Amino acid sequence: MSVNKYQPHVLVLPEDDANRQLANGFSLDPLLIDRRIDILEVAGGWTNVLDRFRSDHVSEMDRYPQRFMVLLIDFDERHDRLEAAKDTIPDHLAERVFILGAWSEPEALKAVLGHLEDIGSAMAKDCREDTNTIWDHDLLRHNADELERLRESVRPFLFRTI
Amino acid sequence: MLPLSGQSSVLLIGKNGAGKTTVGLALGILQKIARGINRANDLLKPKDAAIGAGIGRSNVAVRFEIQAELDGKVYEYTVAFELWKTGDVWLVLDETFAVDSKTVYSRQLADVHIENGSISDSAESAASQQPIRAQFKEAWLPVDRHLVALPILQERSAEDPLFVFKQWLGRMLILQPIPSLIGGESKHETLAPNSQVTDFAAWFSGVLAHAPAAYGRIDEYLKQVMPDLGDIKNPVVGREQRSLFVQFSNNLGSIPVPFEDLSDGEKCFMICALVLAANDAYGPLLCFWDEPDSHLSLDEVGHFVLALRKGFQSGGQFIATSHNPEAIRRFSDENTLVLYRKSHLEPTLVRPLSEIQISGDLVGALVRGDVEP
Repeated sequence: MSVNKYQPHVLVLPEDDANRQLANGFSLDPLLIDRRIDILEVAGGWTNVLDRFRSDHVSEMDRYPQRFMVLLIDFDERHDRLEAAKDTIPDHLAERVFILGAWSEPEALKAVLGHLEDIGSAMAKDCREDTNTIWDHDLLRHNADELERLRESVRPFLFRTI
Repeated sequence: MLPLSGQSSVLLIGKNGAGKTTVGLALGILQKIARGINRANDLLKPKDAAIGAGIGRSNVAVRFEIQAELDGKVYEYTVAFELWKTGDVWLVLDETFAVDSKTVYSRQLADVHIENGSISDSAESAASQQPIRAQFKEAWLPVDRHLVALPILQERSAEDPLFVFKQWLGRMLILQPIPSLIGGESKHETLAPNSQVTDFAAWFSGVLAHAPAAYGRIDEYLKQVMPDLGDIKNPVVGREQRSLFVQFSNNLGSIPVPFEDLSDGEKCFMICALVLAANDAYGPLLCFWDEPDSHLSLDEVGHFVLALRKGFQSGGQFIATSHNPEAIRRFSDENTLVLYRKSHLEPTLVRPLSEIQISGDLVGALVRGDVEP
């Protein structure tokens, strides 16, 4: 079976291929429970992420209250990007939707930190261990508030405990 | 040469006829050598001359090369064949086996040269902990050119590089399963299944006989995929014969299902579970799986591929081929290789996806046929 829709689970909606590869790396974390996360088809642009969220996922999230979603977008160095994105999330779903991404774009992360999958794996490790080794990078630091919300909501069911 | 070094899992993509499955066929020839098949004509057919020679030519060697890092040592083996002028007999042209760049033996035509002390320097007597150099003086021996030397040369201990390499090569998993041909009966045990996995039951028996704890790994994976799985039984049902049954149960009751009655996709789950258990039990293994997404429902493909990728992160190497968008998306630029061939008359070109300019979504570019080295 795929993710169990009646158990807590996360769907990741990536903006593009680079963000998809970050998500791949995240899902390769050795302690992550495979069947609690799924990576969706890339949307092709941050506005398309929001459009697809509204058209396909709002009603599905209403239907499946155990569903959480991560919208993985590029911030394109725009301070207003997070608020613009959040404005499209219905209030009753706000607690279950998280908007994360590179300050510019993942390719900039790749240039300084290496392969996108490795960066994604480091993000997962930070998430699970409650550290900020990678999330504290200049290109990721702006995610702090969303990341904190994500950790509180998702970490308890997404990772195995040793 | 496929640039696979340093990757725990790799995806091969490319159009039909690009050469993806041929990678498995080439590995299969090396695997046969390691499993003891050493007559050149049992490894290659006359038509295989086209692999290395091109259409209309048969005077060029077909060469196989493999390099593997095992326990920190780099093993290299090459063997080349030529088609005799009669056009129906393959002969060995040359052969080399080296560890950490030091030649263990080399061969030209029929002359095999074992290097002085080359084996002994790498293999130490387990009992005495003394180098067994004295047993391996430089030597020359003639070997019939119809025969590959690797299976003939005798290893001296389980630490002998020849033994380590041959065992690893022979235990490679080269999989192209045909679920409808896979039953549950077994009359023997094996750690080396055939590529169609028609001997799944014997492999299951072999893995559990080798490492009974492997059942835990099998059970762990399968219960994620089939939550109503109870257990798997493999009772003796006749003289030296066993038969696999899968027990399913939930709050409605329990039902035993003969292995052969599982669906094609469910049999693939079983194979995946055994691959993961085998890599843990007697790995590190190289697993080449040609289109692992075949027979799977769309919602399973990504999880299936991811489970295999994760299973090889701590050892071994998983190589998949695929045309399936869901499988392709579970790999990334640095571990995806694009195979491309302009025509059947030209060799396959291989480029990492990371070196190819792609506009937009990879799957979209593949659909448009725009992914070319």
